[in-house]
Amino acid sequence: MIATHDTIRSTIYEASLALDECRWGDWLALCDDGFYYAIKAFSPEIRYDMTYLDGNRAEMVSMCDLLPKHNTDRSPLARHTVVYRVAVDESDASASAVSSVAVYRTVLDGMASHVEAGSSNLFLVGKYHDRFRLENGDAKFVERIVQLDTRRLDKGSHWPI
Amino acid sequence: MPARNHKRWNEVPGELREGEYIDSRIYSDRAIFEEELAKIWKKSWIVACHESEIPEPYDFRTTTIAREPIIVARGSDNQVRAFLNVCPHRGNTIENRPSGSFRNGTASGAPRHMTCMYHGWQFDMKGNCTHISREKEGYQNRLSRNDLGLRRLRCEVHFGGFVWVTLDDAIGKTVEEWGAGCFDCLQKHVDAEPLEVFHYHKAIIHANYKLWHDTNSEFYHDYLHYHNRITGFNDAYFARQNTGFENGHVTVGSFEVQYDKYEGFESRESLSFPGLPPNHWYMIDMFPGVNFNLRGSALRCDIMTPLAPDRVLIEFRGLGLKSDTPEERMSRVRHHNSIWGPFGRNLHEDLLAVTTQQAAMNEHAEPRRILHGRHENNTIHDEIGMRHFYDEWGRWMNRRPSDPEKPYAAAA
Ligand code: FES
Ligand SMILES: [Fe+2]
Repeated sequence: MIATHDTIRSTIYEASLALDECRWGDWLALCDDGFYYAIKAFSPEIRYDMTYLDGNRAEMVSMCDLLPKHNTDRSPLARHTVVYRVAVDESDASASAVSSVAVYRTVLDGMASHVEAGSSNLFLVGKYHDRFRLENGDAKFVERIVQLDTRRLDKGSHWPI
Repeated sequence: MPARNHKRWNEVPGELREGEYIDSRIYSDRAIFEEELAKIWKKSWIVACHESEIPEPYDFRTTTIAREPIIVARGSDNQVRAFLNVCPHRGNTIENRPSGSFRNGTASGAPRHMTCMYHGWQFDMKGNCTHISREKEGYQNRLSRNDLGLRRLRCEVHFGGFVWVTLDDAIGKTVEEWGAGCFDCLQKHVDAEPLEVFHYHKAIIHANYKLWHDTNSEFYHDYLHYHNRITGFNDAYFARQNTGFENGHVTVGSFEVQYDKYEGFESRESLSFPGLPPNHWYMIDMFPGVNFNLRGSALRCDIMTPLAPDRVLIEFRGLGLKSDTPEERMSRVRHHNSIWGPFGRNLHEDLLAVTTQQAAMNEHAEPRRILHGRHENNTIHDEIGMRHFYDEWGRWMNRRPSDPEKPYAAAA
């Protein structure tokens, strides 16, 4: 059985929920063994296609495993994801999708929390360019390219977007 | 010692002496901030961009120094020049894009010229005014394009191809002289062959620019960074030397980083900059807020633009060799960004720390003492870098960093 467009959409939304809730294991469980992840942006300032972060599945696993050892802004991120386009290729059991994503940060710490905590700010905007492997009605991410428009990233983040 | 009452809290702790602590008001006071722009930022050589960002004739890049808009453009003679990005007519910004090329015309202007879109005045790459719309009709013989060139700024391409600009015509020093030897540890490695910028991102954070310079000037805060603790802490690390140079610059000497101790990280040996021993790490902190950081395979440059006492724009650049193959470039990008990118392991921690530091230094809050009193034979955890910077700062400002209402006096 081939995954439908709905399956692709709900996989993308499940990934957003897992990422919003910092359930890194659940997010990575949606990803294939051959998964590749990258955050990219084109800079008009230097006219260059940049890669801000990238890694294969194993590298993303160890990055997430080491997160508790790092000092991190614990302000939660909320992704507003809208799937714009899904294309399924039944002949080789693959699919691709393009989604728009805006990520908001609701301040918990990382600044004067008495004043700022609880306020939500736009952190970044961009697109998810996803590719999937389809199997038994299921879709697994084989690639996620987060293509950012935002290049003013202020404090940045330790977390995958 | 138990927690202190207000009186004890305000006393100089222990036996610290003048020069070993500063007053937090220099990070938050508005009048001091304005004075810093006038007395320091308008009088220093500042990096505007890297020459690889304007590789072709007619390429340009815009920036600001101390609130003054600046344009850097490459002429048809390949010369890089800098001007105030201000139209001599009614003061419009001439070019509004961050970068681009003047080779082709714009909506209201001719090719190979800078054109102010407002009333169409045009300038060539040397800053000559070449066209004023209805010049004779409007100005008769009272004023001509010959009187209306752009404001030229001193500009040099130096130290690995960075474009340095100063607002002070009378600075009296070349960039080489301004560096006063602080670049000696890196110069032959960054000048061996052309470099290219592969990374750019910006941060505007709620922090005074000096707090960012501080975090670049001391390594005691490696306790903040899990990555550095795991890959760095060994005898050679603790022996790294801080060296102060004239004009307030500081360098931190090198040692061999054990990158493979952090899970998922690899040695950077094969991509070391020309002539640099493998996995070495040098740092140059130039007064008042330009920082170079070479971790073996990737050069990072931070350029600060102070916006307000508690607000700074930091531009982060990463550079490799222009001759890189795509594979080499990709590795350099990874080496740079896994630590220093906006999603890297260390940069987020640094930005977090200075923002929360500023959060406890609000304008008009009680002044506090910020301690710079660690002495460890000028090695890595000695706070000499900051003492050196603030002594220079005090001299330029004629204020005492420990009590900014008093005039400067050299620390005993
Ligand atoms: S303000 Fe520039 S042409 Fe008038
Ligand atoms: Fe740091």
